[in-house]
Amino acid sequence: MHTRSAMLLAVALSCPGAAVAQMSRAALVKQSDIIFIGTVTHVGAVAVPEVPPSDRTVVVRVDQVLEKPAPVALTAGDSVTVETARAGSLKAGIQATFYTTGWIFGRGVAVREVGHEPGQSPVVAADAREAVARARALVNDADLKAHIQRAAMVVAGRVEQVRPAELAAAPTRPKRITEHDPDWQEAIIQVEDGIKGAQAGEQVVVRFPGSPDVAWVGAPKFAVGQEGTFLLHKDSTTGSPLSVIAGRSVPAYTALHKVDVLSKQDATRVRSLIRKP
Amino acid sequence: MRARVIAVGVALCVACKASEREVPKPPAKLVGVRVVDLIPLSLSGETWQDAEPFLALYTSNPRLMAASAFTPNPGGSASATAPIFVSDDGGDSWTLRNTLPSQSMTADITHAVGGTPPVLYAGIMKVPDFPLNELKANDFLSPATMTLQAFRADIDQPFVRTTAVGNADRVYVGLNDFDAPDGRTATVDVSLDGGTTYASRRIETRTTAGQNGPSIRPAVAQDHTVYVAYFGWRSNAGADVTSDVVVVRDDSGATGATPFRDLVDPSDHLPGRLVATGVTIPWSNAPTLGQERIGSTLSIAVDALHSDNVYLAWADRVGTGDIYTVHVRRSTDRGATWSSDLRTLTNATDASLAVSTNGTVGLLYQQVTGPAGASRWVTRLEQSRDGFATHQDVVLATVPATTPPFQFLPYIGDYNGLLTRGNQFLGIFSANNTPDSANFPQGVVYQRRVDFPTHRLLDGSGAPVAVSIDPFFFSVPVLP
Repeated sequence: MHTRSAMLLAVALSCPGAAVAQMSRAALVKQSDIIFIGTVTHVGAVAVPEVPPSDRTVVVRVDQVLEKPAPVALTAGDSVTVETARAGSLKAGIQATFYTTGWIFGRGVAVREVGHEPGQSPVVAADAREAVARARALVNDADLKAHIQRAAMVVAGRVEQVRPAELAAAPTRPKRITEHDPDWQEAIIQVEDGIKGAQAGEQVVVRFPGSPDVAWVGAPKFAVGQEGTFLLHKDSTTGSPLSVIAGRSVPAYTALHKVDVLSKQDATRVRSLIRKP
Repeated sequence: MRARVIAVGVALCVACKASEREVPKPPAKLVGVRVVDLIPLSLSGETWQDAEPFLALYTSNPRLMAASAFTPNPGGSASATAPIFVSDDGGDSWTLRNTLPSQSMTADITHAVGGTPPVLYAGIMKVPDFPLNELKANDFLSPATMTLQAFRADIDQPFVRTTAVGNADRVYVGLNDFDAPDGRTATVDVSLDGGTTYASRRIETRTTAGQNGPSIRPAVAQDHTVYVAYFGWRSNAGADVTSDVVVVRDDSGATGATPFRDLVDPSDHLPGRLVATGVTIPWSNAPTLGQERIGSTLSIAVDALHSDNVYLAWADRVGTGDIYTVHVRRSTDRGATWSSDLRTLTNATDASLAVSTNGTVGLLYQQVTGPAGASRWVTRLEQSRDGFATHQDVVLATVPATTPPFQFLPYIGDYNGLLTRGNQFLGIFSANNTPDSANFPQGVVYQRRVDFPTHRLLDGSGAPVAVSIDPFFFSVPVLP
């Protein structure tokens, strides 16, 4: 994150007004994957040999981990090297909530500061945890709302059938044999609840990569009987935008992002986000 | 052929002190062998399938190395960068740095060093959409994102090799270019100026089945001879491809206008020596061999100091009940003529070759052994000084082939990596990471938190972590 942005966010977080602070916190959370309460122990220093010390590096003792990816080994008492957004912005002894992204992973963790939130001193861990959780929920809702807005159709329903996709051959592009071939499949979804752009009772064709290849590991797969809430996008990926149901030509859709496939119960949340201004 | 396995030399054999006692002996352990799990301590909770590892190292600075695998950015799937592993202590320890411009992970990656440390070149298939990115880092230890030098869509398996000529790095990226004309997709992107400019050189001159196989593998000697091996796919029926195994050569570093034309086959006088013709390549993008897919195993290595000597390995289906069989052959006359099989390894894949400065050839491969319910992936490094009339065999790992279940394919990799420097073979492979000494006969060092007595992986808090596939670096002394 740019230094200027970090400064603005730090200023905003120190301003009165809970709503403004929460918005700013959400902006920090959105860009962060490791968030912790910590105390600066050394300035211009590092805790791991892999990182050269500079006027932007500080060592922070972790007091409480608020968010981290599961693979990352980080617990209270660990010393973390933080590359600060701005030299001189932190002094030894300061306790703060640090919003960071992972930088270097070795014997220890080095992170890059997205921003920090001084808050009260000492930071009340439960308050910080709750504030970060609220901000994360805001971020998740905003991300989902953006996905909903981009989707051509949102439905709750059930996968009735899965079949190989018969794509119209592109005349200038012969079929290639590659281990990254998506092996397009089609799921026929019986719509039970047309939340956006569809009506209950319709059938919709959703294309998805059946390939187990690494290139498609993050793309949702569909199985007969699967129920869910599906955010569907007009197929602009396969080069063949139409499919067929019972002899009728119909638009084909895709759902390639993990957020595009939600649980059936998420339909309520989706409707609520659609209504939300 | 039947190769006689050399008994590990007395001077090298740690276990020999007990040889006269009537007790079961552990597998022979060679002095000087290192096997190191690359996953660092701070990622002890990692459970991803870190397949398809690769390695790059410098001749001039043995402490610096770069490695890669299908390892995601620990920050998650929304991350704008993907990681590489780096070592600055000769491979004893590794750190992970997010410096590749690809969303969380790559869909393919190989890399090689520049002439001056710590320059690194990489060829990746970028996520999303999988375009080729040809990348350079002036300092691969730097946290800066690698610089994009060239890109385009519709390619597969970029495979990077480099050499330094004066102050300029030459970069050779073998790749399968689906936009090449006439279905002759075997291509080498050649840069003679450190990646500033690339020229795509087509190396297939014969009619194909619409394309070549994915593996296009360059190898470079110190006299600037460049060999490239590829699969000349001639027809396909169902899941089987009928292919030639072809080697082209360029004697001047591919600097000319029509490179890779210096080796002609006597049968049709076309460039590209047909080392084997009409072999059957089973193309299976499904768990077929120990949960691994098969169809593109190919490796070539040249004796860097004596470019007449070149070794080739590929895999096909022989049809004698095998699933997949690795063949190793040699030429001592610049690819003009080739031996018959020096090694024939049933149900093996991921063959990687390297030739040390004393002429010893190293062959790394991974083989499925044992009955179906208890099959194992056995990773071996074989060395030979006499064209595999005799060889030394070192088992680096022997791990269950049925666990963990695959998360995606490739399970352990469509390739692994073997290089040589001085008196060492250095390489990388991926395998089940259960911390069990019996699985690693040469010993193993974990950076991540483990408990050997209970064979458990542990996270930062000491809680058990599921077994997964990790990349393992190794070094083995070259036969003197």
